Amino acid sequence: MKLSFYPGCSLEGMAVDYARSIDAVFKALDIDLVEIDDWSCCGATAAHSLSEAMSVILPARNLSAAEQMGLDIVSPCANCFNRLRFSQQMIQKRVLDIPWPVTGDLKIHDMTRFLAEPPMIKKIEKRVLKPLKGLKLVCYYGCQMVRPPRITGYTDYENPQTLDRISAATGAQVIDWSYKATCCGASIGIARREIGDSLTKRLLDKARQAGAEAIVVSCPLCQSNLDMIQKGRLERPIPIFYFTELLRLSFSDRGNPKWFKTHFTNPVQLLKTKSLL
Amino acid sequence: MNTLAEDQKSVNQPKPTKKRKLIGDRGDYFLNRIEGETGANVSACYQCERCTNACPVSHFMDIKPHQAVRYVQLGWREDLLKSSTIWVCLSCEMCTTYCPNEVGVAEVINHLRNIAAHSSITPKEKNLAVFHQTFLEVLRKSGRVNEFQLMNAYYLKPNILHEKIKSGSFKEELLLGLTLLRKGRLKPFTSRSKAIKDIQKAYIQARGEIV
Ligand code: SF4
Ligand code: SF4
Repeated sequence: MKLSFYPGCSLEGMAVDYARSIDAVFKALDIDLVEIDDWSCCGATAAHSLSEAMSVILPARNLSAAEQMGLDIVSPCANCFNRLRFSQQMIQKRVLDIPWPVTGDLKIHDMTRFLAEPPMIKKIEKRVLKPLKGLKLVCYYGCQMVRPPRITGYTDYENPQTLDRISAATGAQVIDWSYKATCCGASIGIARREIGDSLTKRLLDKARQAGAEAIVVSCPLCQSNLDMIQKGRLERPIPIFYFTELLRLSFSDRGNPKWFKTHFTNPVQLLKTKSLL
Repeated sequence: MNTLAEDQKSVNQPKPTKKRKLIGDRGDYFLNRIEGETGANVSACYQCERCTNACPVSHFMDIKPHQAVRYVQLGWREDLLKSSTIWVCLSCEMCTTYCPNEVGVAEVINHLRNIAAHSSITPKEKNLAVFHQTFLEVLRKSGRVNEFQLMNAYYLKPNILHEKIKSGSFKEELLLGLTLLRKGRLKPFTSRSKAIKDIQKAYIQARGEIV
Protein backbone atom coordinates (compact mmCIF):
# COMPACT_ATOMS: atom_id res chain seq x y z
CA MET A 1 0.00 0.00 0.00
CA LYS A 2 1.27 3.43 -0.91
CA LEU A 3 0.18 6.81 0.42
CA SER A 4 1.49 10.33 0.20
CA PHE A 5 2.62 11.75 3.50
CA TYR A 6 2.26 15.38 4.57
CA PRO A 7 4.50 15.68 7.64
CA GLY A 8 3.95 19.34 8.44
CA CYS A 9 6.46 21.71 10.01
CA SER A 10 6.32 20.37 13.57
CA LEU A 11 7.57 16.95 12.57
CA GLU A 12 10.84 18.50 11.47
CA GLY A 13 11.29 20.22 14.83
CA MET A 14 9.32 19.91 18.04
CA ALA A 15 7.87 16.53 17.08
CA VAL A 16 10.95 14.69 15.77
CA ASP A 17 10.09 11.84 18.12
CA TYR A 18 6.68 11.56 16.45
CA ALA A 19 8.32 11.53 13.01
CA ARG A 20 10.76 8.79 13.97
CA SER A 21 8.11 6.57 15.49
CA ILE A 22 5.82 7.01 12.47
CA ASP A 23 8.65 5.90 10.26
CA ALA A 24 9.25 2.78 12.31
CA VAL A 25 5.56 1.89 12.64
CA PHE A 26 4.70 2.23 8.97
CA LYS A 27 7.75 0.21 7.99
CA ALA A 28 6.64 -2.51 10.38
CA LEU A 29 3.12 -2.44 8.93
CA ASP A 30 4.54 -2.54 5.44
CA ILE A 31 2.84 0.64 4.27
CA ASP A 32 4.78 2.94 2.01
CA LEU A 33 4.65 6.62 2.96
CA VAL A 34 5.96 8.92 0.26
CA GLU A 35 6.65 12.43 1.47
CA ILE A 36 4.83 15.03 -0.65
CA ASP A 37 7.26 16.60 -3.03
CA ASP A 38 8.59 19.92 -1.73
CA TRP A 39 5.68 20.41 0.65
CA SER A 40 5.06 23.78 2.30
CA CYS A 41 3.41 24.95 5.51
CA CYS A 42 -0.41 24.70 5.74
CA GLY A 43 -0.58 28.09 7.46
CA ALA A 44 -1.99 26.62 10.69
CA THR A 45 -4.07 28.91 12.90
CA ALA A 46 -2.20 32.05 11.94
CA ALA A 47 -3.24 31.99 8.29
CA HIS A 48 -6.97 31.69 8.87
CA SER A 49 -6.83 34.14 11.75
CA LEU A 50 -5.37 36.90 9.63
CA SER A 51 -6.36 35.99 6.09
CA GLU A 52 -9.05 33.48 5.27
CA ALA A 53 -8.05 33.42 1.60
CA MET A 54 -4.52 32.32 2.40
CA SER A 55 -5.83 29.55 4.63
CA VAL A 56 -7.35 28.01 1.51
CA ILE A 57 -4.46 28.79 -0.83
CA LEU A 58 -1.55 27.60 1.34
CA PRO A 59 -2.75 24.01 1.87
CA ALA A 60 -3.90 23.85 -1.76
CA ARG A 61 -0.31 23.82 -2.92
CA ASN A 62 0.26 20.55 -1.09
CA LEU A 63 -2.99 19.07 -2.34
CA SER A 64 -1.89 19.93 -5.84
CA ALA A 65 1.50 18.26 -5.35
CA ALA A 66 -0.15 15.14 -3.94
CA GLU A 67 -2.57 15.00 -6.86
CA GLN A 68 0.37 15.01 -9.18
CA MET A 69 1.71 12.00 -7.33
CA GLY A 70 -1.75 10.46 -7.52
CA LEU A 71 -1.68 9.20 -3.94
CA ASP A 72 -4.17 9.74 -1.13
CA ILE A 73 -2.80 11.86 1.69
CA VAL A 74 -2.21 10.86 5.26
CA SER A 75 -1.50 13.59 7.80
CA PRO A 76 -0.13 12.94 11.27
CA CYS A 77 -0.81 16.44 12.62
CA ALA A 78 -4.33 17.31 13.72
CA ASN A 79 -4.09 20.92 12.64
CA CYS A 80 -2.58 20.15 9.22
CA PHE A 81 -5.31 17.57 8.68
CA ASN A 82 -7.99 20.09 9.55
CA ARG A 83 -6.51 22.78 7.30
CA LEU A 84 -6.04 20.41 4.37
CA ARG A 85 -9.64 19.23 4.66
CA PHE A 86 -10.93 22.78 4.95
CA SER A 87 -8.98 23.85 1.90
CA GLN A 88 -10.22 20.81 -0.02
CA GLN A 89 -13.85 21.68 0.73
CA MET A 90 -13.38 25.28 -0.35
CA ILE A 91 -11.68 24.13 -3.55
CA GLN A 92 -14.57 21.76 -4.28
CA LYS A 93 -17.01 24.60 -3.76
CA ARG A 94 -14.95 26.73 -6.15
CA VAL A 95 -15.03 29.68 -3.79
CA LEU A 96 -11.57 30.91 -4.65
CA ASP A 97 -9.05 30.86 -7.45
CA ILE A 98 -6.07 28.70 -6.66
CA PRO A 99 -2.73 29.46 -8.34
CA TRP A 100 -1.94 25.74 -8.71
CA PRO A 101 -3.76 23.05 -10.68
CA VAL A 102 -5.91 21.26 -8.12
CA THR A 103 -9.23 19.43 -8.14
CA GLY A 104 -9.58 18.44 -4.49
CA ASP A 105 -10.50 14.86 -5.35
CA LEU A 106 -7.93 13.02 -3.23
CA LYS A 107 -8.83 11.41 0.07
CA ILE A 108 -7.24 13.06 3.10
CA HIS A 109 -6.83 10.74 6.07
CA ASP A 110 -5.88 11.68 9.55
CA MET A 111 -3.37 9.13 10.67
CA THR A 112 -5.32 7.84 13.65
CA ARG A 113 -8.48 7.10 11.70
CA PHE A 114 -6.45 5.46 8.96
CA LEU A 115 -4.86 3.08 11.46
CA ALA A 116 -8.10 2.52 13.39
CA GLU A 117 -9.95 0.94 10.46
CA PRO A 118 -10.84 -2.67 11.36
CA PRO A 119 -8.42 -4.31 8.86
CA MET A 120 -5.59 -2.08 10.10
CA ILE A 121 -6.36 -2.90 13.73
CA LYS A 122 -6.16 -6.58 12.84
CA LYS A 123 -2.82 -5.97 11.18
CA ILE A 124 -1.58 -4.11 14.24
CA GLU A 125 -2.75 -6.84 16.61
CA LYS A 126 -0.88 -9.42 14.55
CA ARG A 127 2.25 -7.33 14.65
CA VAL A 128 2.32 -6.80 18.44
CA LEU A 129 5.23 -8.68 19.93
CA LYS A 130 5.08 -7.41 23.47
CA PRO A 131 1.62 -6.31 24.62
CA LEU A 132 1.69 -3.21 26.83
CA LYS A 133 -0.02 -5.08 29.65
CA GLY A 134 -0.96 -3.08 32.69
CA LEU A 135 -0.28 0.36 31.23
CA LYS A 136 -3.22 2.60 32.15
CA LEU A 137 -3.86 5.22 29.49
CA VAL A 138 -6.28 7.95 28.58
CA CYS A 139 -6.48 9.09 24.95
CA TYR A 140 -6.56 12.78 24.22
CA TYR A 141 -7.75 13.98 20.81
CA GLY A 142 -7.87 17.76 21.17
CA CYS A 143 -9.89 20.01 18.89
CA GLN A 144 -8.66 20.12 15.37
CA MET A 145 -8.81 16.43 14.58
CA VAL A 146 -12.49 16.08 15.47
CA ARG A 147 -14.06 19.52 15.13
CA PRO A 148 -15.92 20.93 13.33
CA PRO A 149 -17.47 17.61 12.25
CA ARG A 150 -18.54 18.97 8.86
CA ILE A 151 -14.85 19.38 8.00
CA THR A 152 -13.23 16.48 9.84
CA GLY A 153 -15.96 13.96 9.06
CA TYR A 154 -15.98 12.58 12.59
CA THR A 155 -19.43 11.42 13.62
CA ASP A 156 -18.40 10.53 17.16
CA TYR A 157 -16.84 13.93 17.82
CA GLU A 158 -18.06 13.97 21.43
CA ASN A 159 -16.47 10.66 22.28
CA PRO A 160 -14.00 9.80 19.52
CA GLN A 161 -12.60 6.28 19.49
CA THR A 162 -9.73 6.06 17.00
CA LEU A 163 -6.87 6.45 19.49
CA ASP A 164 -8.74 4.29 22.01
CA ARG A 165 -8.99 1.45 19.53
CA ILE A 166 -5.34 1.68 18.50
CA SER A 167 -4.12 1.86 22.08
CA ALA A 168 -6.30 -1.10 23.05
CA ALA A 169 -4.78 -3.06 20.17
CA THR A 170 -1.35 -2.66 21.75
CA GLY A 171 -2.68 -4.46 24.85
CA ALA A 172 -2.75 -1.40 27.10
CA GLN A 173 -5.63 -0.66 29.43
CA VAL A 174 -7.56 2.30 28.03
CA ILE A 175 -9.56 4.36 30.50
CA ASP A 176 -12.59 6.40 29.50
CA TRP A 177 -12.63 10.06 30.51
CA SER A 178 -14.57 13.20 29.73
CA TYR A 179 -11.84 15.47 28.45
CA LYS A 180 -10.93 13.72 25.21
CA ALA A 181 -11.70 16.68 23.00
CA THR A 182 -11.32 19.66 25.34
CA CYS A 183 -8.95 22.30 24.02
CA CYS A 184 -5.34 22.37 25.31
CA GLY A 185 -4.87 26.03 24.39
CA ALA A 186 -2.82 25.47 21.23
CA SER A 187 -0.23 28.21 20.79
CA ILE A 188 -1.97 30.75 23.02
CA GLY A 189 0.48 30.03 25.86
CA ILE A 190 3.31 31.69 23.96
CA ALA A 191 1.69 35.09 24.13
CA ARG A 192 -0.76 34.59 27.03
CA ARG A 193 0.84 32.17 29.42
CA GLU A 194 -1.92 32.07 32.04
CA ILE A 195 -4.63 31.11 29.55
CA GLY A 196 -2.59 28.27 28.12
CA ASP A 197 -1.54 27.02 31.55
CA SER A 198 -5.06 27.01 32.94
CA LEU A 199 -6.25 24.77 30.11
CA THR A 200 -3.36 22.28 30.13
CA LYS A 201 -3.30 21.98 33.92
CA ARG A 202 -6.95 21.08 33.99
CA LEU A 203 -6.40 18.32 31.43
CA LEU A 204 -3.52 16.85 33.44
CA ASP A 205 -5.56 16.95 36.65
CA LYS A 206 -8.52 15.25 35.03
CA ALA A 207 -6.29 12.57 33.52
CA ARG A 208 -4.83 11.85 36.95
CA GLN A 209 -8.28 11.73 38.50
CA ALA A 210 -9.34 9.20 35.88
CA GLY A 211 -6.46 7.03 37.07
CA ALA A 212 -4.25 7.35 34.01
CA GLU A 213 -0.53 6.73 34.16
CA ALA A 214 0.08 8.30 30.77
CA ILE A 215 -1.75 10.26 28.09
CA VAL A 216 -1.82 9.25 24.44
CA VAL A 217 -1.98 11.99 21.82
CA SER A 218 -1.66 12.40 18.09
CA CYS A 219 -1.08 16.15 17.82
CA PRO A 220 2.40 17.72 18.11
CA LEU A 221 1.06 20.87 19.73
CA CYS A 222 -1.00 18.97 22.32
CA GLN A 223 2.04 16.84 23.10
CA SER A 224 4.37 19.78 23.71
CA ASN A 225 1.77 21.69 25.72
CA LEU A 226 0.98 18.79 28.01
CA ASP A 227 4.58 17.63 28.24
CA MET A 228 6.46 20.90 28.76
CA ILE A 229 4.17 22.35 31.40
CA GLN A 230 5.16 19.49 33.72
CA LYS A 231 8.79 20.57 33.68
CA GLY A 232 9.94 21.07 37.25
CA ARG A 233 6.52 20.53 38.79
CA LEU A 234 6.44 18.44 41.92
CA GLU A 235 3.23 16.47 41.52
CA ARG A 236 3.20 12.99 40.08
CA PRO A 237 4.39 13.45 36.49
CA ILE A 238 2.34 11.91 33.74
CA PRO A 239 4.16 11.09 30.50
CA ILE A 240 2.64 12.11 27.17
CA PHE A 241 3.05 9.57 24.37
CA TYR A 242 2.40 9.85 20.70
CA PHE A 243 0.27 6.85 19.78
CA THR A 244 2.90 5.77 17.28
CA GLU A 245 5.48 5.61 20.09
CA LEU A 246 3.31 3.08 21.88
CA LEU A 247 2.84 1.10 18.67
CA ARG A 248 6.56 1.08 18.09
CA LEU A 249 7.17 -0.09 21.64
CA SER A 250 4.68 -2.93 21.36
CA PHE A 251 6.09 -3.96 17.96
CA SER A 252 9.56 -4.66 19.32
CA ASP A 253 10.46 -7.17 21.97
CA ARG A 254 13.01 -4.82 23.49
CA GLY A 255 12.28 -1.12 23.42
CA ASN A 256 15.00 1.45 23.57
CA PRO A 257 14.99 4.17 26.27
CA LYS A 258 16.63 6.47 23.71
CA TRP A 259 13.33 6.67 21.83
CA PHE A 260 11.97 8.82 24.62
CA LYS A 261 14.91 11.10 25.28
CA THR A 262 13.19 14.09 23.67
CA HIS A 263 10.38 13.95 26.24
CA PHE A 264 10.35 16.34 29.18
CA THR A 265 8.32 14.01 31.35
CA ASN A 266 10.49 10.97 31.14
CA PRO A 267 8.41 7.82 30.66
CA VAL A 268 11.33 5.40 31.07
CA GLN A 269 10.75 4.92 34.79
CA LEU A 270 7.08 4.12 34.28
CA LEU A 271 7.81 1.69 31.45
CA LYS A 272 10.48 -0.03 33.50
CA THR A 273 8.17 -0.60 36.47
CA LYS A 274 5.76 -2.25 34.06
CA SER A 275 8.73 -4.21 32.65
CA LEU A 276 8.01 -2.86 29.20
CA LEU A 277 11.54 -1.57 28.66
CA MET B 1 -21.28 52.61 57.12
CA ASN B 2 -24.25 53.26 54.91
CA THR B 3 -27.68 53.12 56.38
CA LEU B 4 -30.07 50.60 55.01
CA ALA B 5 -32.02 53.31 53.26
CA GLU B 6 -28.90 54.59 51.54
CA ASP B 7 -27.98 51.09 50.47
CA GLN B 8 -31.38 50.53 48.98
CA LYS B 9 -31.21 53.80 47.21
CA SER B 10 -27.94 52.87 45.57
CA VAL B 11 -29.43 49.57 44.50
CA ASN B 12 -32.54 51.10 43.13
CA GLN B 13 -30.86 53.87 41.24
CA PRO B 14 -27.64 52.71 39.66
CA LYS B 15 -25.50 55.61 38.55
CA PRO B 16 -25.40 55.62 34.79
CA THR B 17 -21.74 54.86 34.11
CA LYS B 18 -22.00 54.38 30.37
CA LYS B 19 -24.20 56.16 27.94
CA ARG B 20 -26.95 53.81 26.93
CA LYS B 21 -26.60 52.43 23.47
CA LEU B 22 -29.40 52.66 21.02
CA ILE B 23 -30.69 49.40 19.73
CA GLY B 24 -31.76 48.93 16.16
CA ASP B 25 -30.48 52.27 14.93
CA ARG B 26 -27.93 50.79 12.56
CA GLY B 27 -30.04 48.70 10.27
CA ASP B 28 -28.86 45.31 9.14
CA TYR B 29 -25.98 46.32 6.91
CA PHE B 30 -23.24 44.77 9.09
CA LEU B 31 -25.33 41.67 9.79
CA ASN B 32 -25.85 41.08 6.08
CA ARG B 33 -22.20 41.67 5.37
CA ILE B 34 -21.03 39.12 7.95
CA GLU B 35 -23.64 36.57 6.95
CA GLY B 36 -22.70 36.99 3.31
CA GLU B 37 -18.96 36.77 3.84
CA THR B 38 -18.96 33.85 6.26
CA GLY B 39 -22.08 31.97 5.28
CA ALA B 40 -22.94 31.87 8.99
CA ASN B 41 -26.52 31.91 10.16
CA VAL B 42 -26.20 34.87 12.51
CA SER B 43 -29.88 35.84 12.42
CA ALA B 44 -30.87 32.40 13.68
CA CYS B 45 -29.32 32.93 17.12
CA TYR B 46 -31.83 32.92 20.00
CA GLN B 47 -29.30 33.70 22.74
CA CYS B 48 -29.35 30.33 24.45
CA GLU B 49 -25.69 30.84 25.49
CA ARG B 50 -24.78 27.30 24.66
CA CYS B 51 -21.76 28.59 22.73
CA THR B 52 -20.47 30.56 25.70
CA ASN B 53 -20.98 27.62 28.03
CA ALA B 54 -19.03 25.37 25.69
CA CYS B 55 -16.19 27.85 25.23
CA PRO B 56 -13.04 26.95 27.20
CA VAL B 57 -11.79 30.53 27.39
CA SER B 58 -14.96 32.61 27.69
CA HIS B 59 -13.85 33.90 31.11
CA PHE B 60 -10.88 35.60 29.44
CA MET B 61 -13.17 37.38 26.96
CA ASP B 62 -14.73 40.80 27.44
CA ILE B 63 -17.56 40.09 24.98
CA LYS B 64 -18.78 36.50 25.38
CA PRO B 65 -19.37 34.43 22.25
CA HIS B 66 -23.19 34.66 22.43
CA GLN B 67 -22.88 38.40 22.99
CA ALA B 68 -20.58 38.68 20.01
CA VAL B 69 -23.29 37.11 17.87
CA ARG B 70 -25.85 39.61 19.21
CA TYR B 71 -23.42 42.49 18.59
CA VAL B 72 -23.19 41.43 14.97
CA GLN B 73 -26.98 41.45 14.73
CA LEU B 74 -27.00 44.96 16.17
CA GLY B 75 -24.15 46.14 13.97
CA TRP B 76 -21.89 47.11 16.88
CA ARG B 77 -18.83 46.68 14.73
CA GLU B 78 -16.25 48.79 16.53
CA ASP B 79 -16.94 47.15 19.90
CA LEU B 80 -16.28 43.76 18.36
CA LEU B 81 -13.09 44.80 16.60
CA LYS B 82 -11.79 46.40 19.80
CA SER B 83 -12.63 43.34 21.92
CA SER B 84 -10.22 40.85 23.44
CA THR B 85 -12.66 38.12 22.36
CA ILE B 86 -11.57 37.98 18.74
CA TRP B 87 -7.93 37.44 19.74
CA VAL B 88 -8.44 35.16 22.73
CA CYS B 89 -10.63 32.76 20.73
CA LEU B 90 -8.72 29.56 20.04
CA SER B 91 -10.76 28.45 17.03
CA CYS B 92 -11.47 25.28 18.97
CA GLU B 93 -14.90 25.09 17.29
CA MET B 94 -16.76 24.08 20.46
CA CYS B 95 -19.25 26.91 19.98
CA THR B 96 -20.00 26.05 16.36
CA THR B 97 -20.31 22.35 17.13
CA TYR B 98 -22.80 22.80 19.97
CA CYS B 99 -24.93 25.65 18.66
CA PRO B 100 -28.47 24.30 18.20
CA ASN B 101 -29.08 26.72 15.34
CA GLU B 102 -25.90 26.08 13.39
CA VAL B 103 -24.90 29.71 13.71
CA GLY B 104 -21.20 29.16 12.96
CA VAL B 105 -20.00 31.22 15.92
CA ALA B 106 -16.31 30.35 15.52
CA GLU B 107 -16.43 31.28 11.85
CA VAL B 108 -17.98 34.65 12.71
CA ILE B 109 -15.38 35.36 15.38
CA ASN B 110 -12.59 34.31 13.04
CA HIS B 111 -13.92 36.57 10.33
CA LEU B 112 -14.07 39.48 12.77
CA ARG B 113 -10.43 38.76 13.57
CA ASN B 114 -9.68 38.95 9.85
CA ILE B 115 -11.47 42.29 9.58
CA ALA B 116 -9.68 43.63 12.66
CA ALA B 117 -6.31 42.55 11.26
CA HIS B 118 -6.97 44.67 8.18
CA SER B 119 -8.17 47.71 10.11
CA SER B 120 -6.51 50.60 11.90
CA ILE B 121 -7.73 49.40 15.30
CA THR B 122 -4.96 48.33 17.67
CA PRO B 123 -5.72 44.78 18.79
CA LYS B 124 -6.68 44.57 22.46
CA GLU B 125 -4.54 41.44 22.80
CA LYS B 126 -1.62 42.79 20.87
CA ASN B 127 0.80 39.96 21.65
CA LEU B 128 -1.56 37.33 20.34
CA ALA B 129 -1.97 39.27 17.12
CA VAL B 130 1.77 39.80 16.83
CA PHE B 131 2.36 36.08 17.24
CA HIS B 132 0.08 35.21 14.33
CA GLN B 133 1.76 37.91 12.27
CA THR B 134 5.23 36.59 13.08
CA PHE B 135 4.21 33.06 12.12
CA LEU B 136 3.16 34.22 8.68
CA GLU B 137 6.33 36.28 8.23
CA VAL B 138 8.45 33.19 8.89
CA LEU B 139 6.22 31.18 6.57
CA ARG B 140 6.68 33.70 3.79
CA LYS B 141 10.44 33.68 4.22
CA SER B 142 11.01 29.95 3.98
CA GLY B 143 7.76 28.28 2.97
CA ARG B 144 7.89 26.23 6.16
CA VAL B 145 7.83 27.33 9.77
CA ASN B 146 10.79 26.42 11.90
CA GLU B 147 9.92 26.79 15.57
CA PHE B 148 13.37 28.08 16.50
CA GLN B 149 13.19 30.87 13.98
CA LEU B 150 9.58 31.56 14.88
CA MET B 151 10.38 32.03 18.56
CA ASN B 152 13.42 34.18 17.81
CA ALA B 153 11.46 36.38 15.44
CA TYR B 154 8.66 36.68 17.99
CA TYR B 155 10.99 37.74 20.82
CA LEU B 156 12.51 40.39 18.58
CA LYS B 157 9.16 42.08 17.98
CA PRO B 158 8.76 45.42 19.76
CA ASN B 159 8.00 45.10 23.48
CA ILE B 160 7.74 41.32 23.57
CA LEU B 161 11.16 40.72 25.11
CA HIS B 162 10.72 43.68 27.41
CA GLU B 163 7.41 42.35 28.73
CA LYS B 164 8.79 38.85 29.17
CA ILE B 165 11.72 40.17 31.21
CA LYS B 166 9.43 42.35 33.29
CA SER B 167 7.04 39.52 34.07
CA GLY B 168 9.99 37.31 35.00
CA SER B 169 9.14 34.56 32.54
CA PHE B 170 12.08 35.27 30.25
CA LYS B 171 14.70 33.30 32.16
CA GLU B 172 12.48 30.28 32.38
CA GLU B 173 11.66 30.40 28.68
CA LEU B 174 15.31 30.82 27.76
CA LEU B 175 16.20 27.72 29.77
CA LEU B 176 13.32 25.87 28.18
CA GLY B 177 14.59 26.86 24.75
CA LEU B 178 18.09 25.65 25.56
CA THR B 179 16.77 22.31 26.80
CA LEU B 180 14.74 21.94 23.62
CA LEU B 181 17.84 22.67 21.53
CA ARG B 182 19.81 20.10 23.50
CA LYS B 183 17.08 17.51 23.09
CA GLY B 184 17.06 18.19 19.37
CA ARG B 185 13.48 19.42 19.32
CA LEU B 186 14.45 22.87 18.12
CA LYS B 187 16.50 23.04 14.95
CA PRO B 188 18.49 26.21 14.29
CA PHE B 189 18.32 25.70 10.53
CA THR B 190 15.26 25.40 8.34
CA SER B 191 14.65 23.22 5.40
CA ARG B 192 13.18 25.59 2.88
CA SER B 193 10.44 24.78 0.48
CA LYS B 194 11.05 25.77 -3.12
CA ALA B 195 7.60 27.28 -3.13
CA ILE B 196 8.56 30.61 -1.58
CA LYS B 197 8.26 32.50 -4.86
CA ASP B 198 4.81 31.07 -5.54
CA ILE B 199 3.66 31.74 -1.99
CA GLN B 200 4.89 35.30 -2.03
CA LYS B 201 3.13 35.86 -5.31
CA ALA B 202 -0.11 34.50 -3.87
CA TYR B 203 0.29 36.90 -0.95
CA ILE B 204 0.71 39.88 -3.23
CA GLN B 205 -2.37 38.86 -5.20
CA ALA B 206 -4.36 38.38 -1.99
CA ARG B 207 -3.52 42.00 -1.15
CA GLY B 208 -5.27 43.05 -4.33
CA GLU B 209 -2.16 43.78 -6.35
CA ILE B 210 -1.67 42.44 -9.84
CA VAL B 211 1.45 40.41 -10.49
S1 SF4 C 1 -25.33 28.59 20.82
FE1 SF4 C 1 -26.06 29.45 18.89
S2 SF4 C 1 -28.19 30.05 19.28
FE2 SF4 C 1 -27.22 29.72 21.27
S3 SF4 C 1 -26.49 31.76 21.88
FE3 SF4 C 1 -24.78 30.75 20.83
S4 SF4 C 1 -24.97 31.39 18.71
FE4 SF4 C 1 -26.93 31.84 19.68
S1 SF4 D 1 -13.94 28.73 18.81
FE1 SF4 D 1 -13.42 30.48 20.10
S2 SF4 D 1 -15.36 31.28 20.84
FE2 SF4 D 1 -15.76 29.24 20.02
S3 SF4 D 1 -15.64 27.91 21.81
FE3 SF4 D 1 -13.60 27.93 20.87
S4 SF4 D 1 -12.47 29.58 21.90
FE4 SF4 D 1 -14.65 29.85 22.37
